[in-house]
Amino acid sequence: MSPRPWPAWLAREMRGSLGRLLFFAACLSIGVAAVVAVATTSSAIDRGVRAEARRLLAADVAVSSRRPLPRKLGDTIAATPGARRADVLELPTMASAPDVDGSESVRASALVELKVAAPGYPFYGRLELEPEIGAIGDLPADACVVGPDLLERLGVARGGRVRLGDATFRVVATVVAEPDRLNISLTLGPRVFLSPAGFARTGLEAFGSRIDYRALVALRDQDPAAARRLAERIRAAVPDVEYDDVETWEEAQPALRRGIERVERFLGLVALLSLLVGGIGVAQAIRAWIAGRMEAIAILRSLGFRPREVVGLYLAQTALLGLAGSAAGAVIGSAAARALPAIVRRWLPVSVDAAADPYAVARGLALGVGVAVLFALPPLLEVRRVSPARVFRRDAEPLPASRTVRAATAALLIAGVAATAAMQAASVARGAAFAAGLVVVASLLAAAAAFLIHVVGRVPRSGGGVALRYGIAALARPGAGTIGAVVALGVGVLVVVAMAQIQGGLSRQLGRDVPADAPTTFLVDVQAAQWDGVRSLLERAGATGIDSAPVVVARLRAVDGRDVADLVPDGPDAGRKRWVLTREQRLTYRATLPAGNRLVAGALWSDPDRPEVSVEREFARDLGVGVGSTLRFDVQGVPLELEVTSLREVRWESFGINFFLLVEPGVLDGAPQFRVVAARVPARSDDMLRNALAGAYPNVTLLDVREILGKVVAVLDRIGFGVRLLGGLTVIAGVAILAGVIGAGSIRRAREVALLKTLGMTRGGIVAVFATEYALIGLVAGVVGATSAIALAWAALRFVLEVDAVPGLLPPVVGIVGASALAIVAGTAASVRALRRRPVEILREE
Amino acid sequence: METHPGVPAAGSSPILEVRGVSRRLPSGGRTLTVLDAIDLTVPRGEFLAVLGPSGSGKSTLLAILAGLDRPSAGEVRLDGERLDGLSEDRLAVVRRHKVGFVFQSFQLLANLTARENVRLPLELLGAGDAARRADAMLDDVGLGDRAQHYPSQLSGGEQQRVALARAFVARPALLLADEPTGNLDSATGARVLDLLVRLRRESGTTLVLVTHDPAVAGLADRRLHLRDGRIDA
Repeated sequence: MSPRPWPAWLAREMRGSLGRLLFFAACLSIGVAAVVAVATTSSAIDRGVRAEARRLLAADVAVSSRRPLPRKLGDTIAATPGARRADVLELPTMASAPDVDGSESVRASALVELKVAAPGYPFYGRLELEPEIGAIGDLPADACVVGPDLLERLGVARGGRVRLGDATFRVVATVVAEPDRLNISLTLGPRVFLSPAGFARTGLEAFGSRIDYRALVALRDQDPAAARRLAERIRAAVPDVEYDDVETWEEAQPALRRGIERVERFLGLVALLSLLVGGIGVAQAIRAWIAGRMEAIAILRSLGFRPREVVGLYLAQTALLGLAGSAAGAVIGSAAARALPAIVRRWLPVSVDAAADPYAVARGLALGVGVAVLFALPPLLEVRRVSPARVFRRDAEPLPASRTVRAATAALLIAGVAATAAMQAASVARGAAFAAGLVVVASLLAAAAAFLIHVVGRVPRSGGGVALRYGIAALARPGAGTIGAVVALGVGVLVVVAMAQIQGGLSRQLGRDVPADAPTTFLVDVQAAQWDGVRSLLERAGATGIDSAPVVVARLRAVDGRDVADLVPDGPDAGRKRWVLTREQRLTYRATLPAGNRLVAGALWSDPDRPEVSVEREFARDLGVGVGSTLRFDVQGVPLELEVTSLREVRWESFGINFFLLVEPGVLDGAPQFRVVAARVPARSDDMLRNALAGAYPNVTLLDVREILGKVVAVLDRIGFGVRLLGGLTVIAGVAILAGVIGAGSIRRAREVALLKTLGMTRGGIVAVFATEYALIGLVAGVVGATSAIALAWAALRFVLEVDAVPGLLPPVVGIVGASALAIVAGTAASVRALRRRPVEILREE
Repeated sequence: METHPGVPAAGSSPILEVRGVSRRLPSGGRTLTVLDAIDLTVPRGEFLAVLGPSGSGKSTLLAILAGLDRPSAGEVRLDGERLDGLSEDRLAVVRRHKVGFVFQSFQLLANLTARENVRLPLELLGAGDAARRADAMLDDVGLGDRAQHYPSQLSGGEQQRVALARAFVARPALLLADEPTGNLDSATGARVLDLLVRLRRESGTTLVLVTHDPAVAGLADRRLHLRDGRIDA
């Protein structure tokens, strides 16, 4: 193309549309701000984790295992010049405050996370104590250090005594900060530190069914390659290493970061939603803009502009405006991300510096401009249809529409939405699913809105005041263009209400007392000889529904003759498969099918010749076994081959004692074992039972379901806060679009105001008429959005979370009322200029 | 003070009295005099035609008579009540009770059906039988069967007939018409004009009609010529 003055044309075309174009930019800014804030925050957390990776691991290399670490590991470490090793082990256990020193009776007790650290720990970071008493590994054998929350729970002061297992310890200091405790997720209870010498006095290692053994290694050579080399040597030399976890600081907490990444993807999609809702606003702004430029476009056409040149002219303006709006959004989002860590600091394990992130900004700009162009395309392509004959006749027929162009535009729009979602979700499949879901939801919302508006329009407008009748009439008027605004606002209401309902339903389900037939208390590590005594303590505490099962700990060695070592997959997505193969398998045995279990394949104990195992259905799927497969276990040194003769479906939500692996009775009789016990204990006897158990059987660990569920609810509330915050932005975008639609119709509205004043209506009367109309728009959006939210929340609770909770009714009511109120505020604000119009102007126009 | 709408007040005080009314508008840094010292009295029941070339101040005069615009000087009395000094809302109430309008470009509310447009003045007055009277009025202008249609679904002539029905339905004391046939072809325009004249005769309403068509003006009781904002004697 010969050099043409495109910039001048662009500038001229944009002149005089400033207000509308500002609105266009604002629509995008909200969504881009959300996208940028999410990306900036999560990458800042990721950077923080990487920057402090050595401290979070407290070592260069760490090896952890559910069994004592083998001698070979020590040899490998010893062969590395300058390497130092410190062993750490962690286990849940009970801590108690004895009534009188040395007595067995206990006045308070609590579940704690016990950590035993050898001299040298931590190699990186600092364990801060109050008062500073030196290294934990050098603690005297009769001393312990505890979290301040334990002192409060037990009513013990520093210098007082705490009992752990068979021994009592003097509390010499409290923990202020622990470098490698990741309290971003659930913790079972307060921290207690002992030295190895102290731990030996407790006698707990003999029973410990859930000890996490960990060797921390510090290298002289700080090069990451040195840590990688040591990890490789360990993986090559140590036997059964596939059951263990070898981690270097350079990997920087892969599990933690995967968790953060998952939260980021989810929040990123919620943020994208507010951007896409903004896209609806863009489409409407462009449509209104083009409608006002029809004459100009006809003139350009009659002057010899080709249709595609006109489209190009407007597309370039759209991209420029999109860039401007996105840039504003990126600035806002970066500022918000900077403020956020101050709010969430205490939930994060690392310090976070959320400086403006070029990658997050680039992503926000790309998504913002992309969404602007995508949503502008359908109205812009209508420009092609403007007939140059309009120059002579305003009502000249538009040129015929091309069905191919239309279909292609729609396909492009959907593909574009899928692409943006894929970018946010970091997965093409998830992006496609998100786009498909959104198209379905938006179509349903549009259809429901159109239907409701149709129905409202059919209501006989005879009763009620003038304001109500006129408001209904305005809503039902053909071509009022309110459906887009209703969909935008409806999507916002949908997100916020559905999230509130899902979170509320889950919290209610988890927070209320556990189901009447479910246990409230689990006891772990009950030894065979202790069972009778434990049972009578339970009965004395008024416990009902006492159930117990023997547990034998084993490792899976082979599946259908293939070694587990060969079956363990590599890579980040190997998580679940790896877990089912290498976990500490807990086997139980009994003659009959437990309650809440149902056979779905095979028959229980049907082969008289071979020892059998019954496998839970989904566990079997993950293992890749079916009826007829064989599983070889290592039961604490003794090999045991079992044939899978049945698959079971387990009702996990019964909260009862259930196992993936159920073994035929008789096979495991001689194996070392302990019992798990479940019982329903009245809330008032909780403390009494825990204290009595801690006094008589200090090795038994008591898990309080009510307490744990309370902690889960607290975590859910944190995530729910973020989702509601971002969902709120979607509502704001929807309201902004409604205001935009009303503002775009301000010329028509100003004429109405003038005419109504001419006919003798007062300003108050006109405001009432308009407010009624906007309230109705908000009402329709609220009803449609809230109804869809109830359906979505019900389905999510029922089928995804498998929780038997009914969505609450408060969030939808708040959503509907809130949408109406916001619509009135936004609509009235957008009509202020029209309301100021004086009636004389209607005569001047003629 | 409110007079019963439509019925001429006791005695024969004029419906409109205009004394020394001027209207000046700022225009490009200087002042433009649109109306200059107008004196005018309109007796009840009169049909007055206001003629003049475009820009002579016809529409501005109409706006001032209706209290839609305020004079820069002088006073206007409508049914004995001075309009200058009344608040916007008070002026709206005066119009509601006493004034009807017909515009060149119809000015129907696009949101409302024909019936709803006609009902609106009655509803503003709180009339209990608004529905019946509006339907009767639509029948009277020959559009009883189009009552459910929106303005966009009606022809220009039909829209102006709806506008006439709306203007007369509340039986205002004064009807102001601004080039009511200006946007219609001559045949349709003639029919609308006939209807206007008939309705005025039946209701006895005072009519002030702005036009530049001498044939239309020929139907009036009296003609007033405006030129450059002054009455051309």
